[in-house]
Amino acid sequence: MSININRPCGTFDRNYFQAKELYRTPLRKTLLILLLVGMYLLPFLTGDYGISILTLICAFTIGMLGLQIITGYCGQISIGHAAFMGVGMYTVGILQRHFGLSFWVCLPLAGLVPMSIGMMFGLPALRMKGLYLAFATLAAHFVIVYVISNWRSVTNGTDGMWMKRPDVLFGIDFKSDRNYYLLVLTITIIMTYLATNLARTKLGRSFVAVRDNDIASEVMGINIAYTKIMAFGIGCFFAGISGALGGAYYEYVNVEWFGLDDSIWYLGFLVVGGFGSIFGAIAGATVWKVMDEFSTLVTPLAETFLGGAAFYASAAFSLIFYSLIIIIFLVFEPRGIAHRWEIIKRSYRLHPFPY
Amino acid sequence: MPEITRDITKRREQRYSYGLTLLRECIEKKRPLTNPNPKERKVLLRAENISIAFGKLQALNNVKVEVKDGEILAIIGPNGAGKTCLLNVISGFYRAQKGEVYMEDKRITHFSSHKIAELGLCRTFQNIALYTGLSVIDNIIAGRHPHIRYNFITGMIYFPWANREEVSQRAIAEDIIDFLELEHVRGSVVGMLAYGLRKRVELGRALALEPRILLLDEPMAGMNLDEKEDMARFIIDINEFLKIPIVLIEHDMGVVMDIADRIVVLDFGNKIAEAPPEEIKSNPKVIAAYLGAG
Amino acid sequence: MEETVKSIVLGLCSGGIYALLAVSYVVIYKSTRVFPFSQSAVLIIGAYIMWYCLIAWHLPIWLGFILTCVGGAILGMFIERAFMRPLVGQPILAPIVVTLCLMLFLRGIGILMGKGDIQGFGESFLPVGAWEVGFLHLPKIQVYGFILCALLIAALMLFYEKTRTGLGMRVVHEDHVVAQNLGINVKRIFQYSWIISCIIAVVAGMLLGNIQGVGLALDANGLITIAAVLFGGLESFAGAIIAGLAIGILQMLTIAHIAPLLPGETTMMVPFVFLLLILFIKPYGLFGLVRIERL
Repeated sequence: MSININRPCGTFDRNYFQAKELYRTPLRKTLLILLLVGMYLLPFLTGDYGISILTLICAFTIGMLGLQIITGYCGQISIGHAAFMGVGMYTVGILQRHFGLSFWVCLPLAGLVPMSIGMMFGLPALRMKGLYLAFATLAAHFVIVYVISNWRSVTNGTDGMWMKRPDVLFGIDFKSDRNYYLLVLTITIIMTYLATNLARTKLGRSFVAVRDNDIASEVMGINIAYTKIMAFGIGCFFAGISGALGGAYYEYVNVEWFGLDDSIWYLGFLVVGGFGSIFGAIAGATVWKVMDEFSTLVTPLAETFLGGAAFYASAAFSLIFYSLIIIIFLVFEPRGIAHRWEIIKRSYRLHPFPY
Repeated sequence: MPEITRDITKRREQRYSYGLTLLRECIEKKRPLTNPNPKERKVLLRAENISIAFGKLQALNNVKVEVKDGEILAIIGPNGAGKTCLLNVISGFYRAQKGEVYMEDKRITHFSSHKIAELGLCRTFQNIALYTGLSVIDNIIAGRHPHIRYNFITGMIYFPWANREEVSQRAIAEDIIDFLELEHVRGSVVGMLAYGLRKRVELGRALALEPRILLLDEPMAGMNLDEKEDMARFIIDINEFLKIPIVLIEHDMGVVMDIADRIVVLDFGNKIAEAPPEEIKSNPKVIAAYLGAG
Repeated sequence: MEETVKSIVLGLCSGGIYALLAVSYVVIYKSTRVFPFSQSAVLIIGAYIMWYCLIAWHLPIWLGFILTCVGGAILGMFIERAFMRPLVGQPILAPIVVTLCLMLFLRGIGILMGKGDIQGFGESFLPVGAWEVGFLHLPKIQVYGFILCALLIAALMLFYEKTRTGLGMRVVHEDHVVAQNLGINVKRIFQYSWIISCIIAVVAGMLLGNIQGVGLALDANGLITIAAVLFGGLESFAGAIIAGLAIGILQMLTIAHIAPLLPGETTMMVPFVFLLLILFIKPYGLFGLVRIERL
């Protein structure tokens, strides 16, 4: 987003092309390549359980990136993100079931349909400053859930729909979880690349300008309404793709999976990860999914602790535990894990000096 | 102000500051730079019969202001006279109830602010309105927004021409930073800077828009003599090197008398005088309203 | 026609509770400029506290009422102290996320308190039965609830008008910095607003639990009231009261006329469509204040 001023000692930028680079030194480039290769090799090391967690982390990372663009870069609060994810899921389901289209055709549509629906809902609220987008997305969530639950002929109502995995491409069969994970990882890397580039180009800068001082940015030549609508649209595009990939993993889609709670966890874990940076979005999604697994493991203990058939413990546990984590992060580390990681890196670089 | 006193009948050969060459080339590609001598200046911006009231408070009352090409116009007046309000109406931020604004004989009265900025009417703000989360150089590049030539999809995919475009915008921003002597703070986040430096970054951001006319709202407020001389130097250089008119709202009489070609005096929303500085000094109405006795 | 009039009158009665809830939102928003999404969960907590007092501990009604109000006050004080005060100075997003997470946190606490079931009050603590006036069928619970809400709102308005603390709160509504410079303890005013709002929300929860059954579905009412608050204007008490009544009428009319037409559970969806319409037509609400930005 802003100029990378954290060049390691001894590297100087001799022209503007070098100054703009994100990974400037050969060491950083090598580390990046190693990281990417490592992520591709991971499924061969972990079992099926690890693959499922990794697939979900990647799918939710795309959704988090979308919310980062809306909220972290452009400063608009959106409480309906999970609903747009659901729209993406259901788009793929409906197109596969009623029109028999292949997954590859459905995927971009799974991004474009939530984008247009989101822009429609966001249009009145984005004209105005303040919380109005939060209310509009809240309303959007309830309307979307109602439409999906009750339009039985198209969406099969509350029973859910079956989805199919992608068809065979280049001879790779995506029925196996491992191959599907590699596909999701590839798409995640592409989306992260797009989001990073968005952050450092004209539109991304105008997002941050509108967030910081929207009146001044209008007088400086930035069309605020266009910028806000584009931010919301692109964010919903990412959410739709994330939903499509997540739904295809489970091969089943149900309207109960994206309630108001999930939208609020999206916002909350984005805060935990850190605003305004791509790494923050990835960190937030990772923390969320890891917490999900953690709570699945811990809940039986909580049930025995509360005595007897405490069937409600799992529901209450995630609600209380996640909200406490988010609130603690907001109180003690409001800029999130990304900021803390920057501080750790800086203290390592400057050791033994404090700053 | 001893050194910077201008003799407006003479053209200076030597510039006071350096830089701004790239910006001037950019502007020259789009329109020819005019060089009128003071007798032949045409009217560039015309605001006629502007009246605006907030509830019962009449902020401006039938104000008529003309800005000629290539001049420095100063708007002075006591606090509450409506100077910033006039600037807000001209730049499209407020909607006047009555009155029209014409730029190069094109009516821009109810245009939205960003269209007016694209036409070349750029302004700075009295209470600084920078993008506080961005660094200095990012603020100035953000000011280049209307002139950047790739759309968002090619930006996201980052085609090579987007990369080259970014680099050329960076070069122009560095040019402006050279001019404003901000090299030592170019990477710092704006929120951390001192007030005087922030005012300079504001000026830089307004310059980055390739202005046809520059509206400065109290650029020298809160500065000491040194910084005021620097700012005056920048303003004069912008006026003479980029050949654009500058409208200046200022309270410091010394600066105004020294660098302005014409002065407009507002008082409680009415224009009470408009003349070159020597005549303003002796105008009884202005003395009564503003300058005090003597 | 008869149906419509019946629905309108019933809507007015149940709208009293919605008006009370809308006032609780507006109290906090006016003082602190933070929209408290968490009040919809405080409803649940209030209903459960009253349930515990009446059914589990078999206390008399007046004692249960007082204990519930005290519980609400303690809850308000705790929320403000522990969650809201550390966030002073952070951008507007932080308190919003905290109130949203508080909504879920309090709902989790509600699940633990109620052991996940919907409980009934057994016998309603307000007199049951109905009065027949002409062709109108007015349930006594609703009417007594309406009277109680009206009394509470009137007491709140008197508090704002007549007392010194109320005057201080009205100054804080205008501007925090000015109030601090005038010697008003702004932090304490924030405490008072949260306490008042939580007491109101808890009483509303009690009444709603009586009518709809004590359970986790009560926070739907809170979310519907958000549409009401937007309709009336975020910063206006008169708007909140009128809008609460209007939403009550809208709900009853929906049940009578629209629900037979559309499938499924329309009572949750229609107020939000109404909200979107308001955003299109009159975004600042009926009595909302439009703030002019200065550059």
